[in-house]
Amino acid sequence: MKFNYVKIAIRNLLKYRFVSFINLFGLTVGLTCCLLIATYVLHETSYDRYNDHADRIYRVTRSFNDPETGVQSLHLGTVAPPFAPLLQHDFAEIEKYTRLLPVGNIAVRYNDKMFYESNTYFADEYLFDFFKVQVVRGDPTTALREPNTIMLTEEVAKKYFGQEDPLDKIIRADNRLSLKVTGVYKPFPANAHLHPSLMISFNTLRDSAIYGEENLRTNWGNNAFLTYLMLPAQYDVQKLKAGFPDFLDKHMGNAGMESYKLSQWTQLHLQRLTDIHLHSHLDSEAEENGDIRRVYIFSAIALFILLIACINYMNLSTARSALRAKEIGIRKVVGARRKEIIVQFLCESVLLCWLATLLAFVLTWQLLPSLNKLSGQQLHIPILLQSKVLIPLLIVPFVVGLLSGLYPALFMSSFKPAKVLKGLFKAGGSNLSFRKVLVTAQFAISIILIVCTAIVFRQMKYMQEKSLGFDRDHIVTLPYFTALDNQFEAFRSHLLSGALVKNATRSSRIPTGRLLDAMESSMANGDTMMPITATIKFLSADYEFINTYGVKMVAGRNFSKEFGTDSASYIINEAAVSLLGFKSPQEAVGKSFSYGGKDGRLIGVFNDFHFESMHQRIVPLLIRIPPAGTAYNNISVKISGQNIQAALAHLEKTWKQFLPEVPCQYTFLDENFNRLYQSEQRQGALFTVFAGIAIFIACLGLFGLSAFTISQRVKEIGIRKVLGASVNNIVVLLSSDFLKLVAIAALIAFPVAWYAMSNWLQDFAYRTNIAWWIFPLAGIIAAIVALVTICFQAIKAAVANPVKSLRNE
Amino acid sequence: MIKITDLEKIYRTEEVETVALNKLSLEVKEGEFVAVMGPSGCGKSTLLNILGLLDDPDGGSFLFNNIEVAHFNERKRAELRKHNIGFVFQSFNLIDELTVFENVELPLIYTGVKSAERKRRVEEVLDKMQIMHRRNHYPQQLSGGQQQRVAVARAVVNRPKLILADEPTGNLDSSNGNEVMQLLTDLNEQGTTIVMVTHSEHDARYSHRIIRMLDGQTVLENIMV
Repeated sequence: MKFNYVKIAIRNLLKYRFVSFINLFGLTVGLTCCLLIATYVLHETSYDRYNDHADRIYRVTRSFNDPETGVQSLHLGTVAPPFAPLLQHDFAEIEKYTRLLPVGNIAVRYNDKMFYESNTYFADEYLFDFFKVQVVRGDPTTALREPNTIMLTEEVAKKYFGQEDPLDKIIRADNRLSLKVTGVYKPFPANAHLHPSLMISFNTLRDSAIYGEENLRTNWGNNAFLTYLMLPAQYDVQKLKAGFPDFLDKHMGNAGMESYKLSQWTQLHLQRLTDIHLHSHLDSEAEENGDIRRVYIFSAIALFILLIACINYMNLSTARSALRAKEIGIRKVVGARRKEIIVQFLCESVLLCWLATLLAFVLTWQLLPSLNKLSGQQLHIPILLQSKVLIPLLIVPFVVGLLSGLYPALFMSSFKPAKVLKGLFKAGGSNLSFRKVLVTAQFAISIILIVCTAIVFRQMKYMQEKSLGFDRDHIVTLPYFTALDNQFEAFRSHLLSGALVKNATRSSRIPTGRLLDAMESSMANGDTMMPITATIKFLSADYEFINTYGVKMVAGRNFSKEFGTDSASYIINEAAVSLLGFKSPQEAVGKSFSYGGKDGRLIGVFNDFHFESMHQRIVPLLIRIPPAGTAYNNISVKISGQNIQAALAHLEKTWKQFLPEVPCQYTFLDENFNRLYQSEQRQGALFTVFAGIAIFIACLGLFGLSAFTISQRVKEIGIRKVLGASVNNIVVLLSSDFLKLVAIAALIAFPVAWYAMSNWLQDFAYRTNIAWWIFPLAGIIAAIVALVTICFQAIKAAVANPVKSLRNE
Repeated sequence: MIKITDLEKIYRTEEVETVALNKLSLEVKEGEFVAVMGPSGCGKSTLLNILGLLDDPDGGSFLFNNIEVAHFNERKRAELRKHNIGFVFQSFNLIDELTVFENVELPLIYTGVKSAERKRRVEEVLDKMQIMHRRNHYPQQLSGGQQQRVAVARAVVNRPKLILADEPTGNLDSSNGNEVMQLLTDLNEQGTTIVMVTHSEHDARYSHRIIRMLDGQTVLENIMV
């Protein structure tokens, strides 16, 4: 019996080659999209799960909020160094902890080889108990124990040592530290939330010249340490969290706050290791994380595409049901029960789905490199070949086969043999209405995807074109080195001596980065200084920051060396003016102001500019000239756009002259700026590709369906032509039925797309409006695509000789 | 074997109600060969469909081997049909995608006969119908007469007690028609009950009894001698 089903299925697929091809092609493309998206989703959801104790590891994070309003002002993925040992001391359930301190860019030198290394961390020896790292040289239990030791990835080791054995070699870091190589390891997997390329032993930090034991024990203000705890299996983490407020109050005192408990101002939180990549978007993260919403969005797109492909199958199978009515009738007459007919049709759809799945696997394998290029991911086909994924995947053809085959099977198995064998069966009625519903659903999905794509692109354009409030063009940024502290003016003068360099400045942070630094502030109110409870972020910068970045002063003046008192002066942005309750920027100028305990005066107000990405709202910001000895982190150089190569050559020459030990590694600010929106740009590109595919599959179905519908109406077309209908009349007649469906689809799609994209735009502090014209435009695009698809068939039918069609009938 | 009493079948559309069978009563004994004749629209085919359990009546009683089957559900009807009834149609109704062998094999598949037994029985019946040499051909490769012989082979392969034939020679020339009628007569002589709807007086004369219908009722019975 089963063999008979398969046999007849194969013969039917071959007999109706055109429809089978459309079905197979549609399902293959749909399943390929699903497999590609499944690879992405599986990769995203696999982050950090490869670690042996992934479900027992938690990251400690810290938030700060206004004790009065409870509004959170900062939530960091990193905490101060004293927390980890104290937490373990106070909470017996914490089995162990590990800490990492990201270093940022450091210059590493071995003999004559010198490179900047951006993924460098201080890490303790317990790291290997938490993270599964494959150590290829050295002993993981001791490699990070001694101070002044370092472990490198194979790639980094090869870069410095080539074929030499790296073990016990000494390298120099930032020209300050001599570090002995004690181990080499394979890079952290792509699905880890951090990827240290170099790990310096944590004990190196204990040297007071580097960081100091005392700092590690008592510095609550340096919340820069990634801290992970190991808890017992199945442990209820809420119990631990419940003890955190008392823990904070006990160890940190009231930190100068008299009317509030410290735990009302700052809190500790725990994040499951496996939640970090998709669920954590804190103000400081080891690396840029993914987003669970993106996973949901692409999963939904995958389902949409598969649904469209399934709808094609249902449509075309029921449309050609008339052709198979006789076969069903005969089968029933010779004894087939309805169940057996249903099973037979399901066999056909499952067989087709199996074929489509096999082809989809091959296509996925071929297309994955292109998807990686487009999405910036590192997806690999083996993720689909693990048994826990492969087994459900092998069920997919059955599910899709059942999903797409069930309706045609139920519909066709209900045929009355007495009728169909007498030729009384006509495809139509409720079956036709259902097919219309399916076509409408396909187009509704396509229109939703068109609208979404258009809005994603508009938002991208908006972000790229919106005025930032400063001039980002031709600004080159470099890391700052303390070696420049005493010679920066000479360095700057040398730079400016070349006509191609317009200005240069130092600052603690640069635009496109985050504004995370804040201190307490107070403002004169009569004779007393009143504390400001809300947060004003600060930036340490020199006199030329405002000029280099072309930021406009709207009141008062910029810092100037002509005023000897400017080291105790502050300039603020318009957002800070509003926060402080001034009616105008002018009103703020000249007011006494204390920041970080240092009394001074507000001397000017600059315009609000987008220091951070458009995802962030412009925050109240204060710029100060930092006290001597406070490290700057960045140099920004404004060069002329006339001859960039020459300007860069001059910059490099100057750099070498002043910092011969350090490689000159610059980046363009607008490149950083583009990187801020890279994930949205990639999302936009993927959206376009998948929306295109969805529309293509929908059209494929429409093409097949219109071909069939028109072939059913050949006699009618012949009669109409004999009675005087023109080709145009016929095309309009045949197309209008489908266009009505597209119109209904548009009405369904518009509110859904509007709702979805309104939610998506909420993520952006600065966003485009959802222009009304996008909706009719999407509808028109869908209608044109549908019309072109149908017209091909309609014109063919309309120009056919009516005599022939009538004779055939 | 068959006893129907006051059988009714009415086709309704939104505006029109057509009475196809109007309190029709009829009895067919085991081993009989009955021909049903009458003008188009008199209800012959409706009667045949109900006798074949392809359609259900709206009223009256239908005893098949003394079992009331008038209100059997689809599953029970299919079960009864596949073990007891064979069909022969005017337009042959072979499945185009299946070969001669596979078409004849189909009823055996649905009754769950094992593969080896199926092969034996199909070959036996194809041999008997003198169509064995065409076993691997598809229906469209055969002449009308050959197709109808395949249809008869398919109808009898399950050894049904009753064969219902709906104008079995309607699409055949007289020579092929005679061959088919001879096949049916042979089957009847071997004990199979046959009810045949026909327009042909010539074919009707092969039967034992001719029932003439008009407007959904029997109006005359001719006993053939």
